[in-house]
Amino acid sequence: MMGEMILRNLVHRPIRTFIGIIAIAVEVALVVLIVGLTSGILSETAKRVEGVGADIMLQPSSAGVIIGMSNSPMPVKIKNRLEQLQYIQSVAPVLLQFNSSGGVELVYGIDKSFDEVSGGFVFLQGRNLQEPDDMLLDDLAVQSKHVQVGQKLRLFNHDWNVVGIVEHGKGSRIFVPLSTLQELSGATDKASLFFIKCTRPEHTDDVIAQMKTVFPNYTIRAIREYVSLMTSTSVPGLNAFVDAMIGLAVCIGLLVIFLTMYTTVIERTRDIGVLKSLGANSPFIVRAVLYESAMLCAGGILAGIGLSYALRAGFLRAYPTLSILITPEWILRAAAIALFGAVLGASYPAWVASRKDAVEALTFD
Amino acid sequence: MAIAATIPSAQFQGLRPVDAQGLTKKIVEPILKTENLWKLYRAGKVEVPALRGVNFSVAPGESVAVMGPSGCGKSTLLYTIGGLASASRGTVLVDGNDLATMSDAERTKLRRSKIGFVFQRFNLLPTMTAKGNIAIAQYIHGDGFDPHRFDVVTKLLGLEGRLNHKPSEMSGGEQQRVAIARAIINEPKILLADEPTGNLDTKNSDIVLEMLRQLNKELGQTIVMITHNPEAVTYFDRVVHMRDGVIVDGIPAD
Ligand SMILES: Nc1ncnc2c1ncn2[C@@H]1O[C@H](COP(=O)(O)OP(=O)(O)O)[C@@H](O)[C@H]1O
Ligand SMILES: [Mg+2]
Repeated sequence: MMGEMILRNLVHRPIRTFIGIIAIAVEVALVVLIVGLTSGILSETAKRVEGVGADIMLQPSSAGVIIGMSNSPMPVKIKNRLEQLQYIQSVAPVLLQFNSSGGVELVYGIDKSFDEVSGGFVFLQGRNLQEPDDMLLDDLAVQSKHVQVGQKLRLFNHDWNVVGIVEHGKGSRIFVPLSTLQELSGATDKASLFFIKCTRPEHTDDVIAQMKTVFPNYTIRAIREYVSLMTSTSVPGLNAFVDAMIGLAVCIGLLVIFLTMYTTVIERTRDIGVLKSLGANSPFIVRAVLYESAMLCAGGILAGIGLSYALRAGFLRAYPTLSILITPEWILRAAAIALFGAVLGASYPAWVASRKDAVEALTFD
Repeated sequence: MAIAATIPSAQFQGLRPVDAQGLTKKIVEPILKTENLWKLYRAGKVEVPALRGVNFSVAPGESVAVMGPSGCGKSTLLYTIGGLASASRGTVLVDGNDLATMSDAERTKLRRSKIGFVFQRFNLLPTMTAKGNIAIAQYIHGDGFDPHRFDVVTKLLGLEGRLNHKPSEMSGGEQQRVAIARAIINEPKILLADEPTGNLDTKNSDIVLEMLRQLNKELGQTIVMITHNPEAVTYFDRVVHMRDGVIVDGIPAD
């Protein structure tokens, strides 16, 4: 009965209801997409590092979790000392270089040992790196750069020949020969990190223990540990930023719901008087207003989920390398956040409604 | 005043003869009784008395019309005995419960089970159908939808064909009949009507008055109605006149 009354009220004012739904939808989509984008990028990065296929990663001591944030490369000859340790199958030095012209991209400078660690690229087209100016791109980078095998690509003030397209998922989207990148960046015989493959994955902990005694001043992590660290908590300020964005989104929803329900309560003053004359008590009136706001919110949540997926599809079409992770968990959380905001926003109007004097309400014009 | 002896003396002490006269037909405890009822409205810093010591009682099954000039306190009296407004002083006994000592919440509860209101301006919920308007009263009352009672009441008020219409699709007379149906759907002890025919033409006024009369005569519904309609006198057991916040007489209708 109350449900019918609320539905009819919502239908009675379609534009107001529509605006309320849109506000909640925007709120939900903002939350889902902001979280989806940050966690999408992080988990995608983690997955790519995992996709290299190494067991261990060795980085300079100052290295953070986000790869390549450190600018103090290590000598490549560390590789020789690593290879002397027990249970080590192969070691791949990688020089990282950021290309920040037209979006931030991480470029891997690699040599033959990268194939030994990773088991080799899956080639969709072309061949592996051979000449100093060769370049490999993954399929997604190709899409966003609109280049083909055989074409040239200018990067770091250097013309590269795109010689192959590989399946994405192995560390980076752009690969060039290690020695060329070292020269170009003035880091001769240097590497930013080493990927290490053990003879068997079970030896990982043993190898790490050995490495720590030999290289006490370096950051040594198992890849699986690295992946688990790759969350928003390991990026300074990111969680606070995400929380602030969520807070903003909640404010939008809360304010719109507040105004919507407040207008509704004023407009229905007489109806509230009628309900009171029929014996409706304050909790009944409060419930009626809160339920109405919750029902509005439910509509907004559904629209918001749809909006999230639509926006994600649009972004992914325009930017294929972008990664937006929409999880059921965060849809539920966004819904709960929106609902909380809606109930909070409606609570003052509900209180006002319940406190209305019945006689004054009945004579209200 | 032979009958006065049969009235429990303690119960009726302080009653003025006019009230006792009204009760001569029914030798039972009043269902509604006010004693020295005052209601003050606060207008800015001054207190305006709308009721100044009203003594009024209604026996079960009685139908009483309240008449008087505009602003004399009729609506205030009705709202106060219906528990919509609180009394400033005095007592209001509804079915033995003193509203004057009750909290807002307690009065609301009493209103829910014992009082039905009908207003001059119908006051139906505009978004609901006739059926919804009646059913919401049952819902608030808490017994859920009672199809039998619903059928009886809607038939009695001739609403069978109009149940799926919204107020905006009904005539004033129909709307007021829906309002009456809503008011009596939960079998209240007292039906309080504030100028129910005030917004109706003569024909619809007569229909509504006749229906109220039937409710009273056939179902024994106690009714207190405010009216300016002189004809109402012929439909009701008793007429009470108010002036300046007090009842000035009580004339049996027959
Ligand atoms: N909410 C209010 N605040 C102040 N004065 C009021 C209020 N309601 C009614 N009054 C005053 O109380 C008196 C009685 O009003 P009312 O009961 O509506 O009279 P009636 O129904 O007989 O026309 C009038 O003088 C009116 O102005
Ligand atoms: Mg009045």
